[in-house]
Amino acid sequence: MKLAFQLAYKNLIGAGLRTWLNVGVLSFAFILIIFFNGMLDGWHQQAKTDSIAWEYGNGQLLHKDYDPFDPFTLQDGHGEFGAELAKTTTPILIRQASIYPEGRMLSVALKGIDLAQTTLELPTASLKDSEANIPVMIGEGMAESAKLKEGDEVLLRWRDKNGTFDASNITIVKVFDTDVPMVDKGQIWIGIDQLWQMTGLQNHATILIANENFEAKNAGDWTYKSQEELLRDINDIISMKKASGSIMYLMLLAIALLAIFDTQVLSVFRRQKEIGTYIALGMTRPQVVGIFTVEGSMYSIFATIVGCIIGIPLFVWLAKTGIALPAASTSQDMGIAISEVIYPVYGLTLIVGTMLLVVLSATIVSYLPAKKISTMNPVEALKGKLQ
Amino acid sequence: MSIISLKNIVKRFPMGEGEFTALSDINLEFKKGEFAGFVGPSGSGKTTLLNIIGSLDSPTEGTATVMGKNISKLSHKESAMLRNLHIGFIFQVFNLLPVYTVYENVEFALLLQNIPEAKRKTMVMEALEWVGLTKLAQKKPDKLSGGEGQRVAIARAIVKRPQILLADEPTANLDAENAHIILKIMKRLNQELDTTFLFSTHDEKVMKYLDRIVHLRDGKVEEDELQLEAGSKK
Repeated sequence: MKLAFQLAYKNLIGAGLRTWLNVGVLSFAFILIIFFNGMLDGWHQQAKTDSIAWEYGNGQLLHKDYDPFDPFTLQDGHGEFGAELAKTTTPILIRQASIYPEGRMLSVALKGIDLAQTTLELPTASLKDSEANIPVMIGEGMAESAKLKEGDEVLLRWRDKNGTFDASNITIVKVFDTDVPMVDKGQIWIGIDQLWQMTGLQNHATILIANENFEAKNAGDWTYKSQEELLRDINDIISMKKASGSIMYLMLLAIALLAIFDTQVLSVFRRQKEIGTYIALGMTRPQVVGIFTVEGSMYSIFATIVGCIIGIPLFVWLAKTGIALPAASTSQDMGIAISEVIYPVYGLTLIVGTMLLVVLSATIVSYLPAKKISTMNPVEALKGKLQ
Repeated sequence: MSIISLKNIVKRFPMGEGEFTALSDINLEFKKGEFAGFVGPSGSGKTTLLNIIGSLDSPTEGTATVMGKNISKLSHKESAMLRNLHIGFIFQVFNLLPVYTVYENVEFALLLQNIPEAKRKTMVMEALEWVGLTKLAQKKPDKLSGGEGQRVAIARAIVKRPQILLADEPTANLDAENAHIILKIMKRLNQELDTTFLFSTHDEKVMKYLDRIVHLRDGKVEEDELQLEAGSKK
């Protein structure tokens, strides 16, 4: 085997430009696969981290009548939670309401949250010190769509527990920046004590955000959803993205492999005299097949080396500076957390896995034409006759 | 005792819907250290006979025994082993491996025998010294003249000290001067190493060096002639 590698190395280096063209295409595919997957992994990690930090906490308890995918359940999907649950969860009460910025009516979800909470990254503490009548906070996405800014007052209309409309001016005391659209778009955050007072739904909540001390289980009218369940949508979206993206880079890999296959087919036909000479000098046919197969594999080994030389500094730089996404401003519309800057994650599994994919696939496409050697007549091969 | 024994050798090749008989009823014996050649016009079966002796091909009928082994009964691996250890080849067009240097071309046969590097180096340099090419050791084949190329091929064939050396038209691509140089080298190696040399040729320059000439015509032995004063007639 050592001999096969030595010979293959000399043959490839001796082949000059042809070798480096194949290596170039393959290393490009190698870098692109890692780049693309690293970016998706970075997005995935960031989306999960942000969603946990801003929305999911350590899991959620949903009131039995509340369905997050059915806004009609907001009306009755709430209930009282016991003192025991209050110790390990942060209650959020969600009510439907309308605001009237610049005379336009906007439907919003009015979310009451415990201002002393620390489970989520929502800057609830900023509402505590406000002297406004009804201090609220909104996300940047909401501020942009409603054309609101900090210090603005806007009319809010809501229903109390009996369905009676009430209205009052609210003051935007904080506009926070988040990548998680589910806590931003169409949402107004208010202190839960104030919302209880406004609606008369004392001690009611729609969802309870579990903190780290919560013991994962259902509790009475509350259905527990673990982080894993809550993150399922994000995982599914990333998996879909990876699957669709893989078509693109697998096509590129296929082109690179086709170039190797083509080179190998040509080699086997062009180098028949050489094959005959190897056999005449005492090599077995499997040994000669081995040389040609190893030659093909070495394209991929060279490609991974070249890919690492070019790719590692590039990936380190990208992981440090991140990739700015111009479309990030529209990420709110996509319903999934996308940061304005994605920091790709290049794990060992990704790199080693891609190396194995490239090397194994190159070996297979090299073996296919090379195996023809095992049926070659050495006498005809020595004459260089096409077989 | 003969090192090569050919008994009732027949070789047929398929041709169209029929068959072409390349060798017919060949019976020959060669002893160790012989400097012999198959001589005849094109198509007389010279190269086919060399290929059978070199276990690159097998006879359709008959028994070819080389170094005590029946060629027809050898597996691919066994015949590769026979060539690797005991048989050297010299070809008309040299068949040097283009990406290797002269040194590496000669070393190749020893790599297949897993000989340690230090010993390999000694053997390669010795072989290059025999053919007078030590100064060209690091040159690539495309930088060599025809005569130099064939001398590298001889060094490659002889470096592993084979019992038998088969040379297929070794001087066909060489001018007269280079042909004589090559033949003198081979004759000297034959005498010093007691290697059996078998040529296939229709070159009269080669014939003058041969101790034994087997004349072939239409795949049959026409004459088996001993030349006791070979080499002196050139």
